[in-house]
Amino acid sequence: MSLTETVKAVGLAAGARVVGVAAAEAFRAGVPEGYRPEDILPGARSVVVAGGDGPTAGAWRCPDHRVMEITGYDLRENVAVHAMSDYIERELGYYAVQAPSLPVHGHEPPMSMMHAAELAGLGSRSFAAHIILNPEYGLLYYAALITTLPLDPSPPLAEPVCPHPGCVAMYRRIGTTPCLRVCPACLSGTVKDARIETSTYDREKCHSRAQTYGIGSFQKALLAIVNEDDAGRRREMIHSEFFTRSVQSLGFFRDSIAQCFECMRVCPVGRKHRKLK
Amino acid sequence: MKEELPAGATKHLKTLALKAGATVVGVADAAAFDAHAPEKHRPADLLPGARTVVVVGGAQPRAGDWIAASPWLLSTMGTTERIQGVGRRVAQAIESELGYYALFVPPGTASGDTPFLSLMLAAELAGLGARSLAGPVLNRAHGFLYWSAVITTAPFEVDPPEGAPACPAPACQDMWEREGTTPCLRVCPVDAGGCLGGQLENGRAIRTSYDAGRCHTRVHTHWVGGFQKVLEETLNEPDRERRKMLVYGDFMTRTLWAITYSSTNIAQCFECMRVCPAAHGLREMR
Repeated sequence: MSLTETVKAVGLAAGARVVGVAAAEAFRAGVPEGYRPEDILPGARSVVVAGGDGPTAGAWRCPDHRVMEITGYDLRENVAVHAMSDYIERELGYYAVQAPSLPVHGHEPPMSMMHAAELAGLGSRSFAAHIILNPEYGLLYYAALITTLPLDPSPPLAEPVCPHPGCVAMYRRIGTTPCLRVCPACLSGTVKDARIETSTYDREKCHSRAQTYGIGSFQKALLAIVNEDDAGRRREMIHSEFFTRSVQSLGFFRDSIAQCFECMRVCPVGRKHRKLK
Repeated sequence: MKEELPAGATKHLKTLALKAGATVVGVADAAAFDAHAPEKHRPADLLPGARTVVVVGGAQPRAGDWIAASPWLLSTMGTTERIQGVGRRVAQAIESELGYYALFVPPGTASGDTPFLSLMLAAELAGLGARSLAGPVLNRAHGFLYWSAVITTAPFEVDPPEGAPACPAPACQDMWEREGTTPCLRVCPVDAGGCLGGQLENGRAIRTSYDAGRCHTRVHTHWVGGFQKVLEETLNEPDRERRKMLVYGDFMTRTLWAITYSSTNIAQCFECMRVCPAAHGLREMR
């Protein structure tokens, strides 16, 4: 087993569904200075990306929408990244850090996990909120590590995952796709020659739907509470279901990652893994 | 129905759960919830076609935690989140290895204090324990455990209910005969500002009462409710210096720690369980 395969095996054993490798230099073409792997870890040679499962097929079938609102994410890709980082440092003697992916300004992370997943050959952008779709599993969550260890990069995908052939056929018939039809408020786009020709994603609109309860809703509710002069009304707002759930979602963020999955619900990619007995 | 599953599938799943960190694992019939759980909170309401519910228990405080001299130990750390990870692993294994739908029951609430599915009821129906005078479901061998459940369309073999309840323990029955109370009822009596009440007859509990509202304010002193309370106090406080004291005070600080580290800080009162002879399992520690 090659070194690259060994590192991947460590990640898969730790719970990743897929693992890919991108060369650190591959980020230069599409990433501005300051956001490249070597800007985070001097001497970076490789980026190892792990994809983890989202909701189970059973969760997709649940008729109570609140279940998907407060669950769906188990962070295994982060565990896999830490397991691989430990292996690289302890066993192989190279530097390894988890790639920072939480936003530091607005929605902007120090390093894009979506781009890392694309460069590591794990998926391609879709019409649906530009979510990276894996050709086998569809929606996955991604984490990455940056290392000074030189590894063999994974080949890029030969074909983009989106649009799926079923969606291309639907576009030919009625000029839309399942995700564009289910959420015309956030998504729009065109297909040409079975490829995405144009794609628009209204992130602000999507954010207010997908993150109904989260840091943003907490800030919004807190501002309204602080600005409320009437003590009785303030009390109602503080102890309301909306504020309670917003505070809960801060504490339980790992179980409460999104409150809207509709564009992914209708996406045919990876559906075979959601069709069970 | 059972022949649909490969031979030994139930045993394989239980082994997987134990290897993933569960202390105990059991299976309940999904239909068994109908007699006890309200509509919309039954397995089939959450997963159409649900046939069984796999319940894992564990991640309980360690024996050392229970005898720790500092009251802050148990009130600032907990281990409950580990069992939710086991539940997720079980759900993923059922889908990826056996090809049946599996829904990990979210540990949070659907609204207010109402859970999606009662994990305590699930543990009872899976034969993993019985309710105690103090409220929690106690396992005969391991005592107090945290629970996680997975609803599935897989027809696993169902476990029978637990033969004899862990509560009241023989020592508690003796105490009742002597003093008319038990350790948990004495440490937190409902008629003296506490949360628990009850009566034993012939070694069985024939009446129990539990003031959930009062218990909640003690168990979750620092948590979402605590934050809301201190926020309201802060905003109502006209004096700027006092407001600063409230914001930087221990109560607000600990509350914020508790919210953001909720996975490791689940409760601030364990007194009824601390004194319970059935809550700490059968194994003697040195």
